Amino acid sequence: MRPNMPVLALAALLSLGALGSAAAAEPYREHYPQARIDPARGVDGDIGFSDTLPFWRTEAELERNAKWVGDPHEQWKLNWKFMDLDRVELHPGHLAVDEGEAMAARLGQRSPAFLLCLADGGKDLKGRAAAYPKYDAMLGRIVTVESHIEHCAKTVLNEEIRQGSPANNKLAVYFKSQSAGTPIKVDLGDGKLMESYRRGEKLFYAKTGQLNFACATCHVPGSIMGHKLRGETPTTPFADAAHYPTYRTPVGALESLQERFARCHSQMRTLQLKPGDPAYVDLEVFMTVLSNGYPVSVPSAR
Amino acid sequence: MRSLSPRRAAFGILLLAAAGQAAAQAPAADYAAYPCLSYSLECGKLATRRPQLKQLDGALNGNAEKGKQLAQARNSGNCLACHVMKGGSQPGTRGPDLSHYGNAGRSDAETYSMIHDMRTRNPDTLMPPFGTNAILSDPEIRDIVAFLQASK
Ligand code: HEC
Ligand code: HEC
Repeated sequence: MRPNMPVLALAALLSLGALGSAAAAEPYREHYPQARIDPARGVDGDIGFSDTLPFWRTEAELERNAKWVGDPHEQWKLNWKFMDLDRVELHPGHLAVDEGEAMAARLGQRSPAFLLCLADGGKDLKGRAAAYPKYDAMLGRIVTVESHIEHCAKTVLNEEIRQGSPANNKLAVYFKSQSAGTPIKVDLGDGKLMESYRRGEKLFYAKTGQLNFACATCHVPGSIMGHKLRGETPTTPFADAAHYPTYRTPVGALESLQERFARCHSQMRTLQLKPGDPAYVDLEVFMTVLSNGYPVSVPSAR
Repeated sequence: MRSLSPRRAAFGILLLAAAGQAAAQAPAADYAAYPCLSYSLECGKLATRRPQLKQLDGALNGNAEKGKQLAQARNSGNCLACHVMKGGSQPGTRGPDLSHYGNAGRSDAETYSMIHDMRTRNPDTLMPPFGTNAILSDPEIRDIVAFLQASK
């Protein structure tokens, strides 16, 4: 859908107001027309967006629509959600969870303070992942599950378990599995998170790279979403954050959400950023708010 | 060993199918000459190259056979990502069908300009600015125009 004239005029007025005096220094940048997403609606925001949520929201709906699996025209409407949890027999993601659990136990034996750090001083990890990303006032930054693991390893064990490394992904998928089924609840009342959400939203529409694509070029209604892009069909961005890190069957390895951003960037012929880059953190906050209310769904495979 | 319900079996098969289409990773190229999302790197401050209306200079002199290959190759035009084209497999469906473009009676000049930079017609186009962003060279765009005009 293309915005109509009054909307465009209004947008022009608003942006004039927002530009202020620093405008001259800003480089010319193009943006994909913004879709309307209300962060307060969480995953329900997909209604009026891709409108596919009713097909994949619940186990019963996925079961009812199982006939679409493998159908090149219909399958995208399931948002790949039939690949989550134990919906797939002998799910390799389960093995990754087991490995992550064993690794956490080993590190915990070396220093119980590591597990305490992971659990923010609590007694276990149950349900904790559902509240990530969150703002850490002591560190003065937004923390994701992956950066939290990196931080605890460094401060407690004096060990590098970098975001994006196989070890970090294994620990992260175990950490998140301890919240499987718990609805995601990113705290929108936290001003720092809302600022990050707004920055992430802006990045989502920013055109980058040699192809001049934005994330929105492929992941909003009216774009390529739902259309064939050679062998693939881009789906809705709602509830994606819920099933990460995911086990990538084609390469036989776990992939974090931010590594997936980098992979889309490579397709976009845009410079890839490293996991933990502040821009990727903002994108992760944006995308996780789009998963609010949807259960953490690891392990998963894609 | 858990039992295999029919539904799970179907999903299992799909998992295997997904493994088969392991997408070839694009070669690690240096895209830092174009805007990126970084808050600190230089590319984060680069401007988008502005829409550029480029006229076809002189006669077309394109090679349709070469144009066909350029339009299909993923590391070149990859027009097939969005368009149905003559002789291409796994076409995209978002852009208009170009498999009979030669019957539309559009001029070489107009076609050239659109491929060079579609933003001059539609600022919100999804189509990459192939000429402006140096995805395709002038002779390559000529070859693709020849291919499109020969698609009947
Ligand atoms: C040229 C098209 C294109 C662009 C641009 C693009 N993507 Fe994607 N993206 C895809 C395709 C195709 C898939 C695989 C199908 C799917 O799950 O949507 C995908 C998948 C994803 C997934 C995984 C979804 C899942 O269910 O596991 C995430 C997350 C994602 N994209 C985020 C982004 C972000 C963030 C950006 C911008 C930085 C972006 N994409 C830009 C095409 C694109
Ligand atoms: C990412 C998607 C995408 C890619 C890649 C793409 N196009 Fe397009 N193309 C479109 C869309 C969408 C339109 C419809 C016009 C518009 O929205 O700007 C279009 C329109 C056109 C038209 C005008 C058709 C008409 O009947 O008016 C031509 C010609 C064309 N494309 C050629 C190409 C060629 C040649 C390539 C590759 C070198 C290419 N396109 C790659 C999306 C794409």
